[in-house]
Amino acid sequence: MQRKHITGFICLAVALVVMVITGRNFLSLKDLGTIVPGPGVTEQKMLSAYFDGIEGTNMDTEVYIMEGSSPGGKMLILGGTHGNEPSGYLSAIAFIENATVESGTVYVIPYTNHSGMTHNDPQEASPQYIHIPTDNGVRTFRYGSRASNPVDQWPDPDVYVHAASGQQLSGSETRNINRAYPGRPDGTPTEQAAYAIAELVRNEDVNLTFDLHEASPEYPVINATVSHEKGMSVAAEGVMELQLKGIAMSLEPSPTNLHGLTHRELGDYTDTIPLLMESANASQGRLRGATNEALALTGIDKAYVKSEALGFLYVPYDEKGHPIEERVGRHLQGIIEYTKAYSAQYADAPVTFIGVPTYDDLFLSADEADLGGVQLGRYLH
Amino acid sequence: MITLIYRGIVAIVVFFIIKNIFQEEKLTLQANATLVIIPLILRLLMIK
Repeated sequence: MQRKHITGFICLAVALVVMVITGRNFLSLKDLGTIVPGPGVTEQKMLSAYFDGIEGTNMDTEVYIMEGSSPGGKMLILGGTHGNEPSGYLSAIAFIENATVESGTVYVIPYTNHSGMTHNDPQEASPQYIHIPTDNGVRTFRYGSRASNPVDQWPDPDVYVHAASGQQLSGSETRNINRAYPGRPDGTPTEQAAYAIAELVRNEDVNLTFDLHEASPEYPVINATVSHEKGMSVAAEGVMELQLKGIAMSLEPSPTNLHGLTHRELGDYTDTIPLLMESANASQGRLRGATNEALALTGIDKAYVKSEALGFLYVPYDEKGHPIEERVGRHLQGIIEYTKAYSAQYADAPVTFIGVPTYDDLFLSADEADLGGVQLGRYLH
Repeated sequence: MITLIYRGIVAIVVFFIIKNIFQEEKLTLQANATLVIIPLILRLLMIK
């Protein structure tokens, strides 16, 4: 055997070892951990129950149903539309594990783009996991991607054409479920998942829909609620209540010429009132420093403090950052106040619930040392 | 269908790179080819 053959086999062996190690890591990202249904969960089903085209695929995702003892309206909470916006899915999970619905029915999808949770955005140095201590041990949650996994949907076109409107966007938005609504049954996997959610809204006659997001501190639409025009009265009343509680929240009208998003398309193509909320997440920002789990959980970043001093940001930013408790608390308090406003204005179909951790529970009353995961963990099982 | 064609192309490329590993005389070029096949095989198996 020649020398080059020996070194060739050695090279292949090294490649095999690297492939096994990295391959196991990539496959492990498909495990999103366990959600512990709280006392209010009355039924669980898969999203494919509303559109069987996604059955057995990585787009299918769990739907938690919480039915109250009294009849009422119906509400949908979408977490995990973007996997790199952790307060979205952590708020949905905190709702599932704590809330008890008294009247009406609440549907919660913690991982709206399930595929997007199974990988990370390339070249972003995002953490793969975030860990939150609870009374029952440390729970591990995935930090995912803004887009569906390219293993599930490939290739991206140069230009993404939104099917319902003809709007043209960057090709990378092809795998963004919040540019895919109202979806298509014969479209891409991401469009099919969006279609399944629209089918859920239509078939269950969902009255009020929340889509929970985060945004970069330098993004103008932040600490904001975006509402379809038919939800403006509900949103306006909710925003006033939030501001009275000291929570800075602006109200943005859904642009009529920006298509594919929940707050536009679910409003146009279904009877639901869609509201989208944004909080400040430094770990997805362009001006961030070191990108790691601590940044995702605490938001503490000297680069953002400096950016604030230079006037680059749309949210206040100091050395205390924006911890996950503040961001989850904003979302949950928003759900509480908007639902109250909805129930007051649509008194024939109210939705009421108890047990949801408030902004005060999670953030205002917490010890500073417990911010960044510990305080949130007290509300997770 | 397009995914199957894509994976077929990847398989052909992997075959020629492995062949190249055993044909190259210089260890640095063999190592270079080794680096190339790692992501290709992960892609072929639809792991990444």
